[in-house]
Amino acid sequence: MESIDFSQPARQSSKGILVIFALNTFKFIRRYFVLFLALGLSLSKSESASFLSTTSLILIALGVFVLIFVLAILKYLNFKFHLDNDQFYLSSGIINKDMTIIPKSKIQNIHIKQNFIQQIINVVSLTIETAGDDKAEIEINALSHSVALNLKKQLFISRPISDNGLGDEPVQSALFFKASMKRLLLEGISENHIKSFLIIVSFVFGLYNEFENYLQDLGISDHFQTSVNIETGSILNLLLANVFIVVFAILGSMLFSVINTFISNFNLEVIENDNTIEINKGLFNKLSLILVPVKIQNIIIKTNRLKQYFGLHTLSIKQAMVNKKQQKNFKIVALEKHQVMHLVQKVFTRYADVDSYEKPEFYYIRLLTFRSILVGAFVNVLAFFIFGNYFWLIYIIIIPWIVLFVHFTYKKASYQITDEYLTVNTGFIDRVRNISELKKIQSVQIKQSIFQKRNEIASIHIATASDKVKILCVTDQNAKAILDYLLFKVESQDRD
Amino acid sequence: MFTNQQINLDILPSIDDVALKPISKQYLMIIVINRWVFYALIVSALMVAKLKIVHEGFQLAFWYLFSACALFCILNFVVALLAFNKRKYAIREQDVIFSKGLLVNSISVIPISRIQHIEISRSWLARRFNLATLKIFTAGESGIDLRIAGLNYSEAKQINDFLSNRVNGID
Repeated sequence: MESIDFSQPARQSSKGILVIFALNTFKFIRRYFVLFLALGLSLSKSESASFLSTTSLILIALGVFVLIFVLAILKYLNFKFHLDNDQFYLSSGIINKDMTIIPKSKIQNIHIKQNFIQQIINVVSLTIETAGDDKAEIEINALSHSVALNLKKQLFISRPISDNGLGDEPVQSALFFKASMKRLLLEGISENHIKSFLIIVSFVFGLYNEFENYLQDLGISDHFQTSVNIETGSILNLLLANVFIVVFAILGSMLFSVINTFISNFNLEVIENDNTIEINKGLFNKLSLILVPVKIQNIIIKTNRLKQYFGLHTLSIKQAMVNKKQQKNFKIVALEKHQVMHLVQKVFTRYADVDSYEKPEFYYIRLLTFRSILVGAFVNVLAFFIFGNYFWLIYIIIIPWIVLFVHFTYKKASYQITDEYLTVNTGFIDRVRNISELKKIQSVQIKQSIFQKRNEIASIHIATASDKVKILCVTDQNAKAILDYLLFKVESQDRD
Repeated sequence: MFTNQQINLDILPSIDDVALKPISKQYLMIIVINRWVFYALIVSALMVAKLKIVHEGFQLAFWYLFSACALFCILNFVVALLAFNKRKYAIREQDVIFSKGLLVNSISVIPISRIQHIEISRSWLARRFNLATLKIFTAGESGIDLRIAGLNYSEAKQINDFLSNRVNGID
């Protein structure tokens, strides 16, 4: 690949106008969608709005589109970027001119993405992220794929290397992992469906709240009421209806999980470069992420009983100050156990998978029991108001739930501190392992409630730049020893 | 030369050996004033409610509500007073330590090499008592940030200078 000269201020590909136009139109419609609907409905009812003929409505819509299009052209014309030896420059803005300068050394991540429109007109967008801000700082909407790759490469080449002329050497890269359809399907099926269910429920409720008035106008609820009244005739019918609802909910959540997994992880590829890891994935939004091991703060490995059986592990990688939405993308699903280990060791070179973990003290069981009983009591009160005298029925669910929760959470909780790494295992249904490097710890805190003090128990909270890890319920003495050790590790390294 | 001596974990500097220093006694006055203002707000809100709401059930329940609030205020006040003695801090060669809390006690430690920036802030009330609050920030949004309230202004400045110099690498 011959390198392209980026030293002169240049615009993106002219197809960028289309991309910006489409993006802005989409944003505009999404923002005012509800408003349009409400307006439309109220207009259709009132007679006074009859002066708004179809042609004038179309004219208004056309006017809005032309305005958005002109703005897109102006935005495109005013968007210029260039690159010199160690900084990236971007000037943008139609009325307020912005000039952004990013030193190459401060770049955290560069993503190459391709959404649906970009796939059609065959361009990609490039996002540059630094540690400083919560949101992505720079997004170039339309570049041809080769230009984007070239720019990415030049941004990642630091000065000393290019001075030695080493920068032109081909980078060693090998495809490390590619998720097959079958594995993605299994991954989707073994997902935590409660989460999907909650998403669906909140979505439906959100819609219902939004359109409650219109639904009432249409008389749907009355209709629904009467149909229910007929069915309450026999208990068997009611039971059947309930079973049907439950089965429907489970199937729906499952389908949602599977589709969700497919869309966001379609064609998942992990490519190993010399000192970076590249992730490519996505069906509608094609993503390409580059991870630099030095900048990684935490690694989280997640699996559950079912997934373990299928040999599926999810690896999430946390970097400092990356926004929440982006954080979700640093996730590699459907990995085998040895593949997980390989990637972990690529990032944390000296991580050894030693199987000697410390357990929290027995007090942890008491704490968990107490907490879950508190939640149970709350649910109990709620149930009393909903079911009246039959509220005790929910004990059939609550008591086994508490027992299982306490048992599994305690069983899965453990920690390990080695010379360089801290590993903490947690989880109830999921099995979550959080690995962080001792030298990246930012601060340490011992917490002890008044009840724990009597039992000489304390908890430790350890913060890195991206995450907070907790070791719960160890003895007083242990907590202090761990604190001393961690501080020693952090504070002694800078002298080297 | 590279050395890699084994470390004897028993002789590591221990958090137990640190003599934590209590914050300025005058800060107790600020706590008391703040609390009383807060309680006064609650009580006056209740009074306004009693005068404005004519609903019968509310008038019946008023004294229960009032005594519940009073009980809460008294307990809260006692805990705040007792917790005052738990606010202690220390500066070591390599880190800053702050301990606080009666019901849930916490000891937070931030290594000096991890400090991002330091801030001294003084409220109107604190200026009257010549006190200051020292805030110490680390990187990352999840970080544990220290907020040492009730230091003498001169002492806060002294600590600030010391830490700033250490952070910037001037010894």
